[in-house]
Amino acid sequence: MTTLNAQQNQDTERFDEITVFNHSRKLRKENKHDEALSTLRNAMRRHWLSAEGIEKAGRQIIKHFKTHDVKTQNILVLGQCTTNWLCNCLTASAFAVGMSVMATEGQYDNVMQELMAAASSDVKYDAVVLLPWNTRLLAEGDRDTQQRIDDEITFWQQAWNFVNNQLNTRLIQIGYDYKSPGYQGHHLGGQAGGHINLVRQVNEALRANLPEMSFFVDIDQISGMLGRENFYDARRYYWTKQPFSEVGTARLSEHVFAAYRTMVNGPKKVLVLDLDNTVWGGVVGETGPLGIGIGDSPDGEAHRALQRYAKSLQNKGILLAVCSKNNDTDAREPFEKNPDMILKLEDFAAFEASWDPKAVAIQRIAQTLRLGLDSFVFLDDNPVEREHVRQMLPDVEVVEVGEDASEYVHALEHGLWFESMNVTKADAQRVEQYRAEAQRREVQSSFTSMDDYLESLKMTADARLINEEDFARVIQLLGKTNQFNLTTRRHSPQVVEQMLGDEKNMGITLRVTDRFGDHGLVAVLLAVLKDHPMDKAGKAFDIDTWLMSCRVIGRTVEEFCYNTLLNAAKDRNADFVIGTYIPTAKNALVKDLYDRLGFTPINTAEDGTVTYELNVHEAEERKTFLAKVDADA
Amino acid sequence: MSDTLSKVTEVFCDVFDDDEIELEAETTAEDVDAWDSLMHVTLMLNLEKAFGIRFASSEVAGLKNIGELVALIDAKTTVAS
Repeated sequence: MTTLNAQQNQDTERFDEITVFNHSRKLRKENKHDEALSTLRNAMRRHWLSAEGIEKAGRQIIKHFKTHDVKTQNILVLGQCTTNWLCNCLTASAFAVGMSVMATEGQYDNVMQELMAAASSDVKYDAVVLLPWNTRLLAEGDRDTQQRIDDEITFWQQAWNFVNNQLNTRLIQIGYDYKSPGYQGHHLGGQAGGHINLVRQVNEALRANLPEMSFFVDIDQISGMLGRENFYDARRYYWTKQPFSEVGTARLSEHVFAAYRTMVNGPKKVLVLDLDNTVWGGVVGETGPLGIGIGDSPDGEAHRALQRYAKSLQNKGILLAVCSKNNDTDAREPFEKNPDMILKLEDFAAFEASWDPKAVAIQRIAQTLRLGLDSFVFLDDNPVEREHVRQMLPDVEVVEVGEDASEYVHALEHGLWFESMNVTKADAQRVEQYRAEAQRREVQSSFTSMDDYLESLKMTADARLINEEDFARVIQLLGKTNQFNLTTRRHSPQVVEQMLGDEKNMGITLRVTDRFGDHGLVAVLLAVLKDHPMDKAGKAFDIDTWLMSCRVIGRTVEEFCYNTLLNAAKDRNADFVIGTYIPTAKNALVKDLYDRLGFTPINTAEDGTVTYELNVHEAEERKTFLAKVDADA
Repeated sequence: MSDTLSKVTEVFCDVFDDDEIELEAETTAEDVDAWDSLMHVTLMLNLEKAFGIRFASSEVAGLKNIGELVALIDAKTTVAS
């Protein structure tokens, strides 16, 4: 386990994922938590973990942050799909380069509600990541292309305004993507009206409308680089509403983290290059300046491509430096004498050719340039030198490459270290002014309250008595709903049938739509008319079961259900509505639902079960933004 | 304990990062604290790798307890070998 522990060891032995996790777990058991984490970090820095290993590492890192109360930077990820695995990978990506960043997700497809919750939370978010998913964009229906694009942009603009004005934090907007060309096929999908076309148009509109100083993560490009067949995984979408494959999730998280890192720290500033077998093929001390591999050979072409790429980076403002174990004169000769060389001596801001250890030489370069080591990227073909620099200078990003020079440019691009926002000094000052001004003045947002937002959704609710068609679905929901479930009673079909056989009892399903589409069956209510549980005089309408889909939380569906229950109780001449909260490991979400709705707790049992009552004669209907479409309940 | 059950237990310990987990045929998701619907999928994906099998979408949600899971894995590995 040498490299896993020892900082001084310089061997380049690889460890597989299982060994890494076992070792980390062993350390954690010995209460060596920091060492356990650095084991994971070391493995990630050296690319030993698979995509699923990265996700798992992220899960463990987040758990550590939480249990040890670690002070972290915080990123809030809000998606129109589930983002749990993405958050884990994002946390891991940051941790791999030494940043303690905790990525947390909001409830699935609840962007606006979660933003408002974030505004009133104690957590200060350092960035908000918005992840669209194409369900609404590509939904069936007769909206035309322009309408669809407008709907999406309007939606995100509300979110952007909120992030900029209320949360005052960084905004990272991910684009839209398609998993496949859809029913139109490859040819028509790309033409007007096709899915691919629609996705590309909406991405253009996002870019054009995105507020200044926010970062656009072009997922269409990213999935294309990896290949959509590898980037997406249909099974994971159907199983968990997370469309990305394991590698897709890891790759997307690297891009989101690169966006964050660029916004916080800017791009890396210096690219440090080894010479022999990196900038050129072969060893100049043996072959002389004209014998190096830089001409018209396959290897020479690859090295020229690297030089061309480095030259382009230099043109856009990245400093280049040489760090080579060579005699200084030998090292300089090819730049002066070999006509195939693209890079020239004057392209380098620092030139270190000596026999000193590379960590020492790189520190000298940092002093010369007066730049921190955390703005350095180091490229060297020799794994021993890479390991040496990784261990001695943990702040330096070391590019992991194989032996073939044809991979080098790709490896540099893949690291995303030189992603930048194209910001001039004037831009930056302007942004500061903009920020300050935004904080001073009373901000006008396209909507300023939750009420306006909910109003704009134009929601409808259809409450029906449970009928034959819904029965199987109701039983299924009773069996599997964990989070928004007040009592978690897993009734059998027989029990429910018996309950509903008596007309005094009530069983209701609720369907919700909004202007973007149909959410389907989102809630089930079962209530029975009985005596008051504390033997008070009067009839009680007892809520046996109240379960709901988490997707519609915070949209006043709760209030709609409350009104439905209250009115049903009145119809039955009941004096009380009785609510019960039975705590489970998974339903803390609704712990205070009845409190929020104005019920009075009347009993708390030993197992934590709380019984509530609501006096029907005193209670009033609550405000809801759902228009009733069917009143058969 | 069957070989399958002990291997399943290993996967559970690994996924939940907890050596203390003990599984029996009657164990259900309610019995293991962190076993929510998302971790269930993570478990299934890890079990697939550990046993070299593939679950169908129709199989992942209907399992009542560990006993049924083990039986399902046994059925798949028997066919495979």
